[in-house]
Amino acid sequence: MSFEVQERVLLDLLFDSSIREQFRNNIDATLTKYDLDENEINDFKTIRPDALELDANMRTNLFIAHICRSFPVTFSLVSSFNKGIELLKKLVNAELMHTPPTERTTVYGTRLREQLVTLKFDNQNEQPLITAILEAELGMAWTAATLKQVVLENGLPDDMQQNDKSNWSGRPIKLASYVSAAMLPQPYTKLKQKLCPNTKCDLWTEISKKQLNAYKRNIVLQQEDPRLLIARAQVNHVSQCEPGIDHQTIELSEGFAHLFQHVNGSASIDQLLTAFKQAGAPDPLLQSVKAGFKQLIDNDMLFLN
Amino acid sequence: MTRHIDQLPTLGIGASLSLSSDPDPVKLVKAQGGPKFVEYAGLADVDQVIDEVERVHAAGAPVLYHPSYINFCGSFPNSTAWLEATAKHIATVKSAWFAQDVAYCFWQEGPGYSTQLGYFIPPLFNEASLERAIIRVKEVQAIVPTVVAIEPPPMCFFAGSLSLFKFFGTLAEETDCAILLDMGHLVSYEMASGNKIKDELHELPKERVIEVHVAGGLIKQSESGPVYVDAHERSIVDETWQMFEAMLPELPNVKAVCFECENVNENAVLTTLKRIRNMVQDNSASQHLVATLDDAA
Repeated sequence: MSFEVQERVLLDLLFDSSIREQFRNNIDATLTKYDLDENEINDFKTIRPDALELDANMRTNLFIAHICRSFPVTFSLVSSFNKGIELLKKLVNAELMHTPPTERTTVYGTRLREQLVTLKFDNQNEQPLITAILEAELGMAWTAATLKQVVLENGLPDDMQQNDKSNWSGRPIKLASYVSAAMLPQPYTKLKQKLCPNTKCDLWTEISKKQLNAYKRNIVLQQEDPRLLIARAQVNHVSQCEPGIDHQTIELSEGFAHLFQHVNGSASIDQLLTAFKQAGAPDPLLQSVKAGFKQLIDNDMLFLN
Repeated sequence: MTRHIDQLPTLGIGASLSLSSDPDPVKLVKAQGGPKFVEYAGLADVDQVIDEVERVHAAGAPVLYHPSYINFCGSFPNSTAWLEATAKHIATVKSAWFAQDVAYCFWQEGPGYSTQLGYFIPPLFNEASLERAIIRVKEVQAIVPTVVAIEPPPMCFFAGSLSLFKFFGTLAEETDCAILLDMGHLVSYEMASGNKIKDELHELPKERVIEVHVAGGLIKQSESGPVYVDAHERSIVDETWQMFEAMLPELPNVKAVCFECENVNENAVLTTLKRIRNMVQDNSASQHLVATLDDAA
């Protein structure tokens, strides 16, 4: 007798579409694969397979509505492809439900990245552009999940703010904790405005009813205004149950991406600017870059060694 | 009848609302014929909701807290931190009792709100499941001192060999807790199991039922028959009204009837509350509850 196995069957029936399909066709054959006795198998024979299917579909939609909030631009774009919505729903499965709750969003995003290749792209530029957008959103999901876990285990971390910012341009810099950086084809705020305009409505409900038009996707992705998105996860609510995490973001011009390769804890801003000047950068550009770095330091996105 | 349940206050006819969105709970409480209490399903941490709760208190209405993250069934234990937060929440908002569906809110990988599973997963209805449910309820009672009312969850499917009221009656008796009956959830059980509530009434410890819910819903026709789906923003279906009318004379100790009306417009809420009051007046076996109608519109 194993109630724990019955619980496993219950979760599989709700989140594994292939098990549900088998269950619909032959309940006994499906359940004999589990270590259950006759009475335990009989408990599941009261389930109407079509009602189970309805429950599973509603459940997936409710679950994915939460995941969607971490990947709004990616979800909107993927919805515009043939079978895009199907792909987004297919990734909600029993295996995902068996990962710890704080990791589900990043596990989902990682699997979505692997599966993007299955979409039928209109041109060769689309896949790298959508992948870049997903990488940016996944980076934010990752820093949020990491910070949340830290808060759950140890309370508010003490490395969220750096008080000593003296001689800020002369000290070596590195990315602060819980900060992600990603190149985007356009400013993230603009992508959200264009692709997820209805902020009053739940995005998943909206795109699962009316997918983004493929033509609109093409138009939006053709517009080039690259930005480096820097996002810092921060705690907006300390809790031992469900800490609240949001992101502070700064978007910098494309040129910063090259400089960011050297933000590794060994070089200072002054050193980076000197090298940049030697490479021929004009003074106005150098001033702009310095102001950008100052903005990142003021917002605790860079850590001064 | 257990004394601690008997001593609970009678709250009358109220509404379950979202504290921070329409319809505004305070506006409704102040309206002629508005709810006598406000029930809400909020976050575990009380500091997240206390401002809104204080607004409701200031308008003169008590509140009831309805969590959505406690496992009252299954093998996966509740987190002490979450239960301590619950106890603090209930004490701070002065919830006379608290109720939640007996369902899975989280799986073995860690605690969380039921939304992480989509919504509540109904329990298996068998003896082994009942044993675990008794452990889970006692685990909650050990940390949360307020009376708990266990609630049959909504269900699209039914799995198991025990009837709904055999399961809940035994669970309530073994843990000495109260019961909340949601009329739509009972309709969902009838449709999912093919059983009839009236045939199982003898298994229900009726005096333990202190709260009744009515809410909007949707009946979907599937291949093998109808399926009831909880949908609070929609109208109350006829089957739910019929269940309400049939159950009121059976329940002598009801202290609160709650219309769950998140996202329903204010006029519709007031009209429905009036209909509920009329039905309570005409059908309820709870004299204390009927007495609360005297000063209502």
